[in-house]
Parts: sequence; C-alpha cells; structure tokens
Amino acid sequence: MIAVQDLTKQYAGRMAVNHISFHVEPGEIVGFLGPNGAGKSTTMRMLSGYMPPSSGYAAVNGHDVFRESLKVRQSVGYMPEMAPLYLEMRVKEYLKFRAELKGLRSRDMRRRVGEVMEQCSVTDVRRRLIGNLSKGYRQRVALADALLNQPPLLILDEPTNGLDPVQIRQVRELLRGLRPAHTILLSTHILQEVEQTCDRVIMIHRGRILANDTPVNLTRKLRALTQVFVEISGKGDVAAQLETLLGVRKVNEELREGDWVRYALRVEPGNDVREEIMKLADSQTWKVRELHRQLPSLEDVFVELAASEP
Amino acid sequence: MRIFWVLLKKELRAFFVSPMAYIVLALIMILNGFCLRAALSVLESAPSEGSIVTWTFHAMWFWLSYFFVFPLLTMRLFAEEKKMGTFETLFTAPVHTWQVVWAKYLASVFIYCVLWVPSYLNFQLLDWITVGQVEMPSGALKGSYLILFFMGLFNLAIGCLASALTSNQIIAAVISFTASLLHFLIGLFISVVGRQVSETFVDVINYFASMEHIRTFTAGLIDTRPLVYYTSLTLLFLALTHQVVEFRRWRP
Repeated sequence: MIAVQDLTKQYAGRMAVNHISFHVEPGEIVGFLGPNGAGKSTTMRMLSGYMPPSSGYAAVNGHDVFRESLKVRQSVGYMPEMAPLYLEMRVKEYLKFRAELKGLRSRDMRRRVGEVMEQCSVTDVRRRLIGNLSKGYRQRVALADALLNQPPLLILDEPTNGLDPVQIRQVRELLRGLRPAHTILLSTHILQEVEQTCDRVIMIHRGRILANDTPVNLTRKLRALTQVFVEISGKGDVAAQLETLLGVRKVNEELREGDWVRYALRVEPGNDVREEIMKLADSQTWKVRELHRQLPSLEDVFVELAASEP
Repeated sequence: MRIFWVLLKKELRAFFVSPMAYIVLALIMILNGFCLRAALSVLESAPSEGSIVTWTFHAMWFWLSYFFVFPLLTMRLFAEEKKMGTFETLFTAPVHTWQVVWAKYLASVFIYCVLWVPSYLNFQLLDWITVGQVEMPSGALKGSYLILFFMGLFNLAIGCLASALTSNQIIAAVISFTASLLHFLIGLFISVVGRQVSETFVDVINYFASMEHIRTFTAGLIDTRPLVYYTSLTLLFLALTHQVVEFRRWRP
C-alpha cells in the first residue's frame, strides 16, 4: 500500500527526513512514533501528496506521490495535525463540501456524510458552527472528513490529540473497525496508543527510523527492564530471600503497610520468576496478596533506542 | 469543472457569511453616493464639459473607494487558508491548483461586480427623480462600467497574488494596496509633470494610466487597447499566483 525508498526532505539545509525506507502492507495499522520534530508530519505530508520529497521515492497504492499526485490524493484520506477546518462552516455543510470536492455525488454524498458523522459521533453537532466546537469535536470532524470517500489508505497525523480518554477509546475502536478495508498510517507521540492500536510500529527520531517491528517484538527485545511486583507478609528477611532466586538482579522495598511489604524486583531478560516466588512463599509460609509482572512499555524501548542513537 | 464549481460556491459563501462583503458593500455605497453628489455639484455650479457620468468617475471619492476595494476583497483568499492550516486540507484533496486559483479569483470578481450595482442604481434613480432632466449618455455609462470591470480584473489579480504570497492578511492587503496605488500613480505623475518630459514618453505612459482610461471610457469611447492591457496583465498575475501556490511542490 505504501512503498518508501530512501525518502529525504530537506528544509533550508536541515534534514527533516533522512533517507528512510519502509513498506506498509494493505490492511495494516502502522503507528508512526517519535518525539515532536522527529519528521513524522513531514513524512506524512509527502505521502499525502502535499509536498514532494527532496530525493528518494514514495508510492501510495502504486502511484508515485510526486508524478501522480492527484491519483495519490484520491486514494488517501489525510487528516493533518491540529485538524484545520473552515471555522465559519457548519459541520454537515463542511462535510458535504469536502465530499463534493472528493468527487462524491448527490445521493452517494448524502449517504456517506450521514455515515461518517455517525461513525465519528458528530451527528449531534451537525448544525453547529465548527468555530464553536471543542477541540475533541473538531478532531472528529476532521477524521470524518478523511473517511468520506472510503479511501484505501488513511494517513492520520495525531488523530487522538486533544481528545479525552473516552473519546480516545472511541477513536481507537473506530480505527480498529476500519480494518481490513482500510490501511492506516497514524502518527502519535503517545506510546500506549500505538501499543493498543497498531500492528506495527515505526519509531522515528531525528528523521531516521530507529525501529520497525510489531509492538510485542519490540518489547520482547528489551526484556532487560522487566519488573515483577510482589506484596508479601512474612517473617524473616524476605528481600534477601527473594534476591537468591535465579535471574533476580535487584529487590527494592516499595511500600510498607503494617505487616505487608511491597517489593519491586528487577529481573534479567528471559526469566519469569513468578512461579519461583510462589514456591518460595509456600515453603516459607509467607502470605502473598499481589504478584504481577510488568513488561517494559514501548516508552522504555523508545527511550533506550533514542539514547543509543549516536 | 465540477470541482471548480464546488470551490467557487464555497468561496462565494465565505464572502457572504463573513461580514466582509457587507462592510465593503456599505463602504462603496456611501462613497458612490458622495461621488454622485460631487458630480452634481460640479454641474450645478457652472456649465461644464462632460456629463454626470464623467464627473462621477472623476470625483476624488471615486478613487478613494477604488483602492480600498481590492485589498478588502482579496486579502483573505489564500492568506487565511495558510494561517488556518486549511491550505493543507484543501491541497490534499484531489483538486488541481488552477481550479483553486480560478475559483478564488472569480469569486472576488463576482463580488466586485455586485459592488457596482448600487452605483448603477444611483444613476437610474437620479434619472427617475429628475424625469430625464439630467443628461445621462448611455454610451458613457456602459463604457464606464466596462472599463471599471477590466480595471477590477487587473487589480483583483494583483490582490490574489499578494494574498498567495503571505499568510498574513494585513501584509497581503498592504502589498495589493501599494501595487494598485503605484500603478495608478504612474499615470497621475505624468499628468502632473507631463509638460517637462517628451511627448512620446507621455504617450507611452498614458497607455497604462488608469486616469486616462477612465477619461476615455467615461466620454463614451471604447478603446480596446486598455482592455487588452488589463486582460493580459490579469492573466500574467494569475499565472504568477498559480506558480506561487505550486511553489511548495517545486523540487530544490
């Protein structure tokens, strides 16, 4: 669906995007992850046909983004960052205008406008001026606009920016529901979002790709940071005993509540000590009321990768 | 073509939902009233050469309104979209640049034409009130509106370009105002210093002096040279606007 080869964009001598290459298969949801100014928006703008690359090649749906810009724009639903909209228009009117612009006609247009308003839950504000809507609503109107002509590819620049937790969940559900008919490339700097929505993550930092893998694989590679939390009430030096378990590197006492103590264990990669802890507790007749393992988040992975970058 | 109509409709709507169209319309109506009154007082004071039409379009008030209209009508065309970021949404939709440029330009031309309707009604009203006592040469009237239309085409194209150059409406307005004024001043300048420079120079300058064009056309003479002049410059400025809008697509 997307093929990018050695894509580069320079702004006044600064490399915004630096020779990146990646592929996106049809039906995938790919998350573009990186801090602000990493080159996410620039890449997305190039893919949506808004501006040409300085060098390199990018194709969407088999069309070159520069030479066949119009065809690319027909097959892409693009939602820019900050969701720019015509503030003096009403929601339904705006969507009708956009639908007509995207080539939808009379009955089709009315049907699709109704559908996307329903999908993005903006039907109840359809007669309101966009200028009077909150950020969350505007964001969803922009998303509705991107969905209008049912493009095979959706490029969404920070689609959940400015939404409240409930709305974020709705948008996430919506995006998942669009699969497999739509391929989605979305950018974000919120890591949980990628973890929960995307099939694949492309981490980008200073215009370069740091990693390109599934969220699970990425975190598996960096198990070093696995932590196990256990809350135990028992006699003797519990911490010292826990430390003797295979693979446990360090034990920290986190919280003390009467007899109960919560310990945080740093565990070396490839070890799961939970079973051992239970056995130990059994043999020592400790009481256990919590035991859980926390896998490293993408955030940890990202910080690690960004730090290792020269 | 269909896309072009959709865009044109949207631009026209934008004019009428914002207060801008009404403010400009009111401004022009008032100034036109002054123009007509000024012309009447010229005719009242002494017998003079030229009709009511001539004097109306030579009034100081007329030039005042003339230069304010263009920046006001064109400043937001591209600048606002750039500022709001909708420029990006617009050009990631499957539209051609020429469709956008022409839609925006022709919307401003349409509003410009509407602006002159009250002025025309003023003449009709005067004719009706005075029961035809004031001489109202219809050729001069038609000629005046013809040249006004073509001068408008030219100045609106300048405004269009100015708006495409910046994301700040004020800057766009200042550029378009200055450019229109400079063009006008060349003609005015020559009528002031005309006696000190050679005949040929004056003749050449008069080819593109708006004052001179108004003089010819309000006398009821249709001269095709200014029409061709304004039309070709209009096309030039629109082509430049097109290039400016396309600029981001240029490869370094």
